[in-house]
Amino acid sequence: MLSSQRFRFDGESTDSETTMYPAPFRYHRAGSADEAISLLAELGDGARPLAGGQTLLVWMKLRFDEPTDLVDIARIPNLSSIEHDDHQVRIGALATHGRIAASPLARLIPIVHDCANGIADRQVRSRGTIGGSLAAGDPSCDWPALLHTLDAEVLCQGPDGERTIGIGDFVEDLYATALQEGELVTGIRFALPPARSAGAYVGFKRCAPAYPTASAGVQLTLAEDADTCADVRIALGSAGLTPIHATAAEAELRGQALNETTIERAAEAAVAASDPVDDQRGSPAFKRAMLRVLVRRAVGIAIRRCNGESVEHSHEYY
Amino acid sequence: MTWVGKSLRRKEDDRLIRGRGLFTDDELAPGMLHLYILRSPYAHARILDVDVSAAEALPGVACTLTGREVAELCDPYMQLAPGPAANIRDLPMAVDKVVYQGEPVAAVAATSAAIAMDAGLLIEVDYEMLDSVMDVEQSLQDDTVLHDAAGTNRVWHGVFDYGDVDKAFAEAAHVVRIDRLHFHRYSSTPLENNACVAEWTRQGTVEFLCNNSFPGFAQQLLAPGLRLRTDQLHIRTYDVGGSFGNKIWNYVYMALAALASRKAGGQRVKWSEIRTEHLLASGHGNERTFLDTEVALDANGVLTAIRSRHLDDCGAYTRYEPLGCVIWSQVTPATYGIRNLRIDFTQAVTNKCPVVPNRGYSRMQHLWFMERVLDICAHELGIPADEMRLRNYIREFPYETPNGCIYDSGNYPAMLDKAKALIGWDDWQKKQAEARADGRLLGIGIGTTLDSGTNNFGQAQIMNPDLPFSGNSEVATMKLDLEGQIVVCLGTGPSGQGHETAASQVVADELNISPDSVYVRPGFDTAWNTFVGHSGTYASQFAVTGLSAVHGACQKLKAEMRRLAAFMLEAAEEDLDFCTGEEGPELRIKGTDRAINYWFLSNLVNNNNAMLPESLADVTLNVRHVYRPPFKVPDTERKFGNLTLTYAAQLHIAVIEVDRETGRPKILAYSAVDDCGKVINPKIAAGQVHGATNHGIGAALMESFNYDEIGNLLTSTFSDYCPITSMNIPDVQYGNIETPSPFSYNGAKGMGEGGGGPLHTIAAALQDALFAEGIIIDDSHHSPSRVFDRLQEPNRDRRVSVRSG
Ligand SMILES: Cc1cc2nc3c(=O)[nH]c(=O)nc-3n(C[C@H](O)[C@H](O)[C@H](O)COP(=O)(O)OP(=O)(O)OC[C@H]3O[C@@H](n4cnc5c(N)ncnc54)[C@H](O)[C@@H]3O)c2cc1C
Repeated sequence: MLSSQRFRFDGESTDSETTMYPAPFRYHRAGSADEAISLLAELGDGARPLAGGQTLLVWMKLRFDEPTDLVDIARIPNLSSIEHDDHQVRIGALATHGRIAASPLARLIPIVHDCANGIADRQVRSRGTIGGSLAAGDPSCDWPALLHTLDAEVLCQGPDGERTIGIGDFVEDLYATALQEGELVTGIRFALPPARSAGAYVGFKRCAPAYPTASAGVQLTLAEDADTCADVRIALGSAGLTPIHATAAEAELRGQALNETTIERAAEAAVAASDPVDDQRGSPAFKRAMLRVLVRRAVGIAIRRCNGESVEHSHEYY
Repeated sequence: MTWVGKSLRRKEDDRLIRGRGLFTDDELAPGMLHLYILRSPYAHARILDVDVSAAEALPGVACTLTGREVAELCDPYMQLAPGPAANIRDLPMAVDKVVYQGEPVAAVAATSAAIAMDAGLLIEVDYEMLDSVMDVEQSLQDDTVLHDAAGTNRVWHGVFDYGDVDKAFAEAAHVVRIDRLHFHRYSSTPLENNACVAEWTRQGTVEFLCNNSFPGFAQQLLAPGLRLRTDQLHIRTYDVGGSFGNKIWNYVYMALAALASRKAGGQRVKWSEIRTEHLLASGHGNERTFLDTEVALDANGVLTAIRSRHLDDCGAYTRYEPLGCVIWSQVTPATYGIRNLRIDFTQAVTNKCPVVPNRGYSRMQHLWFMERVLDICAHELGIPADEMRLRNYIREFPYETPNGCIYDSGNYPAMLDKAKALIGWDDWQKKQAEARADGRLLGIGIGTTLDSGTNNFGQAQIMNPDLPFSGNSEVATMKLDLEGQIVVCLGTGPSGQGHETAASQVVADELNISPDSVYVRPGFDTAWNTFVGHSGTYASQFAVTGLSAVHGACQKLKAEMRRLAAFMLEAAEEDLDFCTGEEGPELRIKGTDRAINYWFLSNLVNNNNAMLPESLADVTLNVRHVYRPPFKVPDTERKFGNLTLTYAAQLHIAVIEVDRETGRPKILAYSAVDDCGKVINPKIAAGQVHGATNHGIGAALMESFNYDEIGNLLTSTFSDYCPITSMNIPDVQYGNIETPSPFSYNGAKGMGEGGGGPLHTIAAALQDALFAEGIIIDDSHHSPSRVFDRLQEPNRDRRVSVRSG
């Protein structure tokens, strides 16, 4: 996502070049997670796992990153399943956006479809993976914001064994995650939304190959009376250096009647929590205005979906 | 059966769809070297030192090139400008100084593109930063001068004064003043980037496979630049994935590839531009600012006079410039009957990518200006948009404009009617009233524009009287090949416009045969001897220049075939018909079954000629025709004369809603009516209209080259530049009318550039949506973020004033 910034002289260094081929590197293919982990440990800090390559290869071509070794994990079996039981959803790290969008799960939980199907174009969706999207730590990526909305946990495995990290602790900063060196994301899991709960994820994009200008995810649970918000999660993407969990916005809705005033207050609070950067997608003021609309729109769709309506939705373009 | 006017399937598509096309980058040969060009990260800096030693030491590297070497091996390119700007030294690589971000500073040829790139990154360049000049008004102050040899940033200045402007202002019922309008910088991003393969042979000639779109012109710059004769260059194109004018100037890169080949001992060298290079440094469209505009109108809202100051920002070099300083005057009054104009025009260099002709070149900027002027006046005077156009349109044709251009034909009111019908005008008027009652911002805009084609190069003399250019011409060669096949070669070097198909249609009609029997060679090749200095695909002219040349060649070949056939059949020439018999194409004696086929005719000349009489000694069955449109040299003093042969027109209507909260403009409906005179192939013409329309919509809403204050291009990838994609394209209702041109043999007008219709139309629709909010649309680019910013700060009080009575 830093693409243009790359060819941007900052007054000090002059290492901006027009490049398209990565620096030389060695390629390894891992047959299992264990093998990948030991390979990564062996090859040291110049090595990177390669999943769909839709972020990493771009970085390498632009020479933001010049790894010495790539450990291709894309063909490791059993890391791309998409499954759920009555309580929990589990998605393997190597599941591609395209496969997730086409899965029965996406039909069951439309917010997942909103996100998966709205990412880039078909080419990117058929290679890019949910695990890669998380591990990249790119605030413009859609999955981190969506997984915040669903309060997901990230399943990791590294030289020291397996661990589970809450999404709130996983993304630490711009391009920085809680992953240790040589540690892999193996999957994500989140609770199957209960009855009377539904969500929506809406992004505003300039065109398919561009990342969102801003996005908002809302997962809403209605109370018995159908007008009151029993519970809600709201997260924002492309709204700061990390995805933003808009807790103050949630507080405006939780336990409240859902009406124009409360929704507006929530949108307002969400905007207040955002800290968008100035870039070619828009000025911060514009992005805030956009976020307000996106939050409202996402709440509106979520309510309709809670009420059993089927709402086709994906990103918006102009 | 006539073929012209039919939607014949494009002949080119068969090979393209099967992946059998040949684009320059497809060319591979054993031992071929690949060129990487190292580019300046700075917009303005002195080059203190270039160290290529580390690059040369990398295995696989054949050679490097530096600016100093290039300066030793090359002569600077001819400059078109008069005065001090003529002293600008333009070489294919920076020598002592860089003047825009992305300017080539060194190059490496290596056995693979990846090695060349790795080696390129090992080149050490020491720079000393200089202040950047990023704004045309600042540039004109000359505080920082880009080209020392010129001594000034000002490239050109001239006043275009027609009619009696002061009198018209004295008599005006209303005078509208618009203090500033700005046309933004964008380009065309053809699917295929620039590319070339060059081989400097041991014989001292250079073989090029390239995608240059104006090879007639390119040769004349390339050859002297490389210190060769034009005949020592063999330039070839095959399939080209779009140019839109942008590929006119890639001769600069052809020169670098040739020099690398020379230094590498004659190995073939390929250079293939990457997208970021294309966006940074392949050529942008002209950016223009319109200052202190005053418009005189009569009591009915008819425009009577305009005076204005136009500043054109041509970027760092004057590659094709300052031609743009005159080209706009092909459409001086736009589609309106205004007779009095005074335009004070200045062009200056800035530390941005050089401009090159870009679809709609220079006329579009001016037409946008005229459309904004008319549209703003309509809003200020409260005249409905359609009514305002109808009161001002030119209606009688041919029409001589105040500066002597002849608009060949047209019917703008009929186009307006058609566009209204297509979009459902009355219905939208109602919906608009309802939307406004609800406080929604819904606008309906009309844009009327011209695509002037087949230019008179004599206009270059208005810009610089010493330039040895005038008129225009194009060539076709045609032969009856050894086996009796019709083979046609074009000088046009198409870049996706279906010339092979259209030319086949013309030949098929002339010979009364099927287009399948006509073989039109793909691409351009100097070895065919099918070129003149004007040869190329640019300025919307193929249907006129290219097809007139083909038509003329048909007449010459037919005359020879007729003479031969008359001799063999012992018949009178006038008794012979060109037709298709059982065995294929033939000439037949009317009303009989006595005929002679093409193979027989060809054989008579090429293999079996002992029986030919002396009277047929001049027959070769291999003809060359040069078409020259009837132009005169313009009056350079008065800046007066006919500058273009045909005037295709476009009329678009857009309905746009602006989201009050976010500023997001959304196109709700769009119609586009085109008039390019007689249509040769409706499917191809429709494709051009859709392409130009989508491109214009992208330009208006998405695409913009934005620089920061020190000259970094902030939109140097597709993620940031955002060319329009299918996700963004609205449903365009397309319609067509035909007002045949009296000036072309076939009634056709050139087309394809499209006059930037959507830029005018979208601005007008936004104006309609936002006028009541106190907003004047004063820029041609409207990203949602910009519209949002504009909504926060209404500018009408600052931008416009009206004086009446
Ligand atoms: C033109 C374009 C447009 C795009 N638009 C969007 C968009 O609108 N929204 C969006 O969300 N994304 C977008 N993307 C990014 C895309 O979704 C990527 O697929 C995703 O961000 C990364 O997934 P990947 O599998 O391709 O990861 P890779 O590129 O293979 O890897 C990315 C990073 O994560 C690391 N990594 C990968 N997998 C793992 C793992 N399992 N464990 C640990 N580390 C790992 C890699 O080492 C690397 O550092 C776009 C990409 C392109 C090229």
